[in-house]
Amino acid sequence: MLNHAEASEKFIEDAERTTWHDETLWFVRSKRDKVSKLLPEWEALREQASLIKDHTLANLGQYLEEFESKAQKNGIKVHWAKDAQEHNEIVLSIISKHGGKALVKSKSMLTEECHLNDFLTKKGVEVVDTDLGERIVQFRNEVPSHIVLPAIHLKKEDVGETFHEFLGTPKGNKDPQFLTEAARQHLRGFFLGANVAITGVNFAVAETGEFVVCTNEGNADMGAHLAKVHIACMGIEKMIPKRKDLGVFLRLLARSATGQLITTYSSHFAKPREGQEMHIVLVDNGRTRQLARDEFRNSLKCIRCAACFNTCPVYRRSGGHSYHQPVAGPIGSILAPNFDKSANVDLPFASTLCGSCSNVCPVKINIHEQLWFWRQDLMKDGLAPLGKSLSMKGMAFVFSNPTIFKMAGYMGRLVMRFAPFIVNNSLNPWFKQREMPEAPKESFQSWYKNRK
Amino acid sequence: MSSRSEIFGAIQALEKREIDHPGDFKSYKAAQDVVGDFKNSLSIVGAICVDAENKQEAATRLSEIYPDLLRYTSHEVVSNGLDLEAVDVLEIDGMFGVAENGAIWLSDQFLPNRVAPFICQHLVIYVAKSEILATLHEAYERLDGNYADFGLFLSGPSKTADIEQLLVIGAHGARSLTIVLV
Repeated sequence: MLNHAEASEKFIEDAERTTWHDETLWFVRSKRDKVSKLLPEWEALREQASLIKDHTLANLGQYLEEFESKAQKNGIKVHWAKDAQEHNEIVLSIISKHGGKALVKSKSMLTEECHLNDFLTKKGVEVVDTDLGERIVQFRNEVPSHIVLPAIHLKKEDVGETFHEFLGTPKGNKDPQFLTEAARQHLRGFFLGANVAITGVNFAVAETGEFVVCTNEGNADMGAHLAKVHIACMGIEKMIPKRKDLGVFLRLLARSATGQLITTYSSHFAKPREGQEMHIVLVDNGRTRQLARDEFRNSLKCIRCAACFNTCPVYRRSGGHSYHQPVAGPIGSILAPNFDKSANVDLPFASTLCGSCSNVCPVKINIHEQLWFWRQDLMKDGLAPLGKSLSMKGMAFVFSNPTIFKMAGYMGRLVMRFAPFIVNNSLNPWFKQREMPEAPKESFQSWYKNRK
Repeated sequence: MSSRSEIFGAIQALEKREIDHPGDFKSYKAAQDVVGDFKNSLSIVGAICVDAENKQEAATRLSEIYPDLLRYTSHEVVSNGLDLEAVDVLEIDGMFGVAENGAIWLSDQFLPNRVAPFICQHLVIYVAKSEILATLHEAYERLDGNYADFGLFLSGPSKTADIEQLLVIGAHGARSLTIVLV
């Protein structure tokens, strides 16, 4: 597997596409700025959301119990899974009882985290992703590169090609309106015929035992209201205490995500419809482990809006796939080491620590600080690549010895002035896609000493 | 040990932390013209707004917007949602609207079927002008104690921008949304 830097290098080979990716995501970030500034209470809302989540995480056990009992009273079947494997087995056992061979699924990052599609496909169940972006990447045998905009790494030409191959649209047609219509017709057939629908959960309300699912396309509802069985999959951190808290989160979510005032559909599922079976699978998969860590607990506040993706200078120029995790971007980089430290050792380093992620986060997660905490944690565990730990040690040595520091600076300036080829070569990663700066004639220290 | 007790065990093993709920949130300023704000939000979310003097005028406007399509109005329950697949234009009642985002609260008590607002090709929702609230906080205040088995905030027609961030109206749900203010 390529690490983040290696995969990014491949991504930026196409300079024009990289620029497009960068600018398009920045445009989404700008829309977020515009709509958030329309609300004078925006900052107070962020603070409120953060405090509600603090409170919820401190009382998670109590709220999960309350949610479970209310949901059961509402006629919903509640399941508990300690890890991804158990989650997948539970979903499969529900499907098996109903004998459907194809099921429709709307967006759920949890099922991506659990690799549910792969698991079900191997068991002979056809999973049809119904979010347009997810259907596109599913056809292409890829994974989403962004949690809100799954196909943002693709251009309309790519989608046109894919739909020509899988849906028989005319070759060369890349009109988004036309292609979306083709997907609508194609997916309607599955909606009308599916026995089982799987959805994610944006918020679960302890007070009422209901859960809220937000989409713009209407695909979650089309699936859930037609199928005989609705399975909703959620991480245990999706809990909120009261229904009124939804007002805070729904005001923040879409504004932060896409710059919309609210998602087109914010559906509140409290009871199954007559004759329908409704299941909720509550999944831990490392969340209680994260809850126990003071410095990383805040990451569980995330409402998956992806504002941190859109603002991140590294994400915008490296693409979601370079993070090799279902959740990419800054938030993904602080969630991933909790699942597997050594497989994700590169991700906390895929950042400039500029802090923009923390500044846009609607629930005020200190993302950039946690990236830095993870770096320290991973270095302490001896997981950093050899080059990095050696160069860090070298740097610490130079910086703690003033004489050597001065000498090194002097040598550096000499080399850059008289023998630039020693640094301007492919062995030096800082030289990639950059010119080295012209070396100053003297150091700041000597300039300061000699100033008149 | 069951996974349920394992999960609760892991949570209970943590040091107890006392953090209070911050209480209900109040918006900063009272809206001056909620109906005007609501209309403005409708245009942002891509909905058509019909502000008619009376029922007759509303009907005329609707037949101009949907000239050759059959309009379906029913408060009777349709038990099989699939029966609504052929509906071109569905007319339903919304409970109230939210000025800040153009959303309308729909409750399944007033829908022929839960899938109705999604499966039809075009959707018309009637909302009373006197039932426009400023923000979502007022909306949940209003819903307090009124728990539908299924309900939703619906704002604008179904849409997607999954292809190159270019907005396309009519993904899976209704291709157009007309709000009739009465």
